[in-house]
Amino acid sequence: MAKPFSVRRVPGFSTIAMICFIGLYLPIVTLVIYAFNAGTSIAIWEGFSLRWFQSAWNNAQVIDASIRSLQIAVTASVVATVVATMAAIATTRTVQYRGLTFKYAFINLPLLVPEIVTAVALLIFFSRVKVWTGYSGLGYLIAAHAAFCVPFAYLPIRARLESMDLTLERAAADLYATPFQAFRYVTLPLLWPGVLAGFMLGFVISLDDVVITEFVKSGGQDTLPTYMLGQLRRVVTPEMNAISTVFLLLSFAIVTIFFFLSRTEKTS
Amino acid sequence: MHQQPAGTTRGGDIDMQNVVKDFGHFRAVDNVSLKIASNEFFTLLGPSGCGKTTLLRMLAGFEMPTGGKILLDKADISLLPPNRRPINTVFQNYALFPHMTVAENIGFGLKMLGRPKAEIEKVTQDMLRLVQLEARGKHLVTQLSGGQQQRVALARALAPQPKVLLLDEPLSALDLKLRKSMQIELKRLQMETGITFVFVTHDQEEALTMSDRIAVMSEGKVRQVGAPDAIYDRPADRFVADFIGETNFLAADVVSVNGNVARVRLASGKEIAARFAEGTQPSGKVTVVIRPEHARAAAVSAEADLKGTIQTIVYLGTDTHIHAVLEDGTHFTVRQQNSRSGPCGFSTGEQIGIHMSDDVAQILRD
Repeated sequence: MAKPFSVRRVPGFSTIAMICFIGLYLPIVTLVIYAFNAGTSIAIWEGFSLRWFQSAWNNAQVIDASIRSLQIAVTASVVATVVATMAAIATTRTVQYRGLTFKYAFINLPLLVPEIVTAVALLIFFSRVKVWTGYSGLGYLIAAHAAFCVPFAYLPIRARLESMDLTLERAAADLYATPFQAFRYVTLPLLWPGVLAGFMLGFVISLDDVVITEFVKSGGQDTLPTYMLGQLRRVVTPEMNAISTVFLLLSFAIVTIFFFLSRTEKTS
Repeated sequence: MHQQPAGTTRGGDIDMQNVVKDFGHFRAVDNVSLKIASNEFFTLLGPSGCGKTTLLRMLAGFEMPTGGKILLDKADISLLPPNRRPINTVFQNYALFPHMTVAENIGFGLKMLGRPKAEIEKVTQDMLRLVQLEARGKHLVTQLSGGQQQRVALARALAPQPKVLLLDEPLSALDLKLRKSMQIELKRLQMETGITFVFVTHDQEEALTMSDRIAVMSEGKVRQVGAPDAIYDRPADRFVADFIGETNFLAADVVSVNGNVARVRLASGKEIAARFAEGTQPSGKVTVVIRPEHARAAAVSAEADLKGTIQTIVYLGTDTHIHAVLEDGTHFTVRQQNSRSGPCGFSTGEQIGIHMSDDVAQILRD
C-alpha cells in the first residue's frame, strides 16, 4: 500500500530545513553564549562568568533606560489597547455600511507605512509642538508608541469579537441588561483573552522599537534599544550580550504567557 | 415586572396589529395581525423563511417592525428595547453564557434587574428544582449535555418571571426521545407558571402536540389561525393542508350549499358532503381535501365513493398506507390502522373501492 504523501520524504527537505533553523538561531545562540564570557571580547571565549550581567546591573544608564522602556511600553500599550478595543467594537457591532472596509484599512494602515516615514513626520510635528508648549517630557514617546501599537492590538481583539456568538449579547439584553451591563458582564469577559493578546502584542512591539524612538526622543530619553544602539557605535563588550539575553528571556516569558492564555481559553 | 401572588394569572396578552417587517426590498413579515391570550400556548408554525422567527424577534425586541404595532397588555411595546420588555427568550442555540456557572446563568436576569442577593439565590434554587438540575448549580454550562443546557436555558428565561416566554425552535437540537419528554415538560411549565408561551417551530407534529392554538405562516403571511384539530381537520387553503399532515387533494364540482355544508360531485360521479371555511361561498370547480385516515379501503362495490388501483402498500407498524391511483389518474392514499396482526388483506395491482364517512371532506379556499 502506498504511503500518503509526506513533504518530509522529499529529497533535500530536511537539509534545507536544518540550514534555515541554523541560520535563524545560531547567531542568537552565539550571542547568548558570549554573554557569559569572562573576557572582554565578544568573539574569543575566555571562560564562564556572570560579570557582564553584574556590570549591566550596576550600570545606572542601563537601569535608567530599562525603566524608561517599561514605563513607555506599559503606558503606551494600555492606551493602545483601550483605543483598539473601542475601535474593534465600533467596527464589528454595527450593521454593514459603505465605507466600513475603508475604515478597517484606515485602522490597519500604520502597519504598512514605512516606520522611517512615520518617524520623520513625528520628528517634525513634535518639534513644533515642543516649541509651542515648552513640554519635553516622555509624553511624546508615549503618544508615538501608543499610536503605532493600536493596529497590533486591534487585530486580535477584532478577531475575537468577530468569532463571538452575537446571540449571547442578545440574550443579555433579553434578560434586562442595559447595553453597558451587557458589555460589562457578557462581552468584556468573553473578549478578555483577545484584549490581553492585544495588550501583550502592543507591549512587545513598543519595548522593541528603535526607529521611531530614536527620532522622537529628546536628550536623556534613551530607551533600552536606543541606548544599546548608541553603545554599539563605541566599544562593544559582552555587556551588550548580557542585556540582549535578559531582553530575550523577557520576550520569551511574555510569549509563553500569551500562549498559555490563548490555550486555556480554547479548552474552556 | 412586579411579582404577583401565586394562583393569579401572570401571563401577558399580545395584540399584533398589521405588523410589517422589511429587510431592504424583502418583506419578511407581511401585515400580520394576531391576538394571543394570556397564558395561551401559541405556536407560530411554518417552513423556514416564512417569517415566524422574524415575528418572534420583533416580540423580543431584537427587530423593530417597519409598520404596525405590537401591544402587550394594551401597552404599545413595538419600539421598546429588549431589556425593557417583560418578555424572555429561549434561543435555538440556547445562548448560555459560557463563562458563567449554571446558577449564574439562571440568576442573570434578576441580577440585571437589581434584585437583592437573597432573592436571586432563592429563585435560582427554585428554578434548578423546577428543571431538575439541583445538583448542577455550580457546574459550568459547558460541562452539561445538550438536554441539560436546554433546561438551563428554560430556567434562565423563566427566572425573572416574564409575562411572555418566547421559544425559538428550542427542541430542534435534541434527539427524538428527549424532544418528546421536553414537549410534555414545556406544557407542564406553561400550566404551572401561568406565563404566555409563544413557540416557533417548523415541526407540525410538535405544534399539534403542545399548542392551544397554532398560526400557520408562509411567505410572511398568516395562512390560518386555530386550535390544532381545527387546523388539521379544516385546513383553509392548499398550503395549510399540504404542510400539516398527509392529505389527498380531489377536484370536485359544487352541487348545492346548505348552511355550512356543501354537496360536491367527485370525478367518480359520486356526491359527498364537504365543509368549507366560514365566510366563503363555494361554487363551481373546487378542491376538496380528505385525510388518509378518514378514508377506508374495501372490495369494489357500487356504494364506494371512489374506485382505484393499488400502486404500493407501505407497512408502518401501527398503520398501513395504501397508495392508489383513481380512475381519473389522481393519487389517493388510505391509511388503515393495523387493528389485527397479519397482512392488510389487499395486494398491489388490486382494484379497490374507497369509502369516506360523512363530514370529513373540506373545501379549500382558492
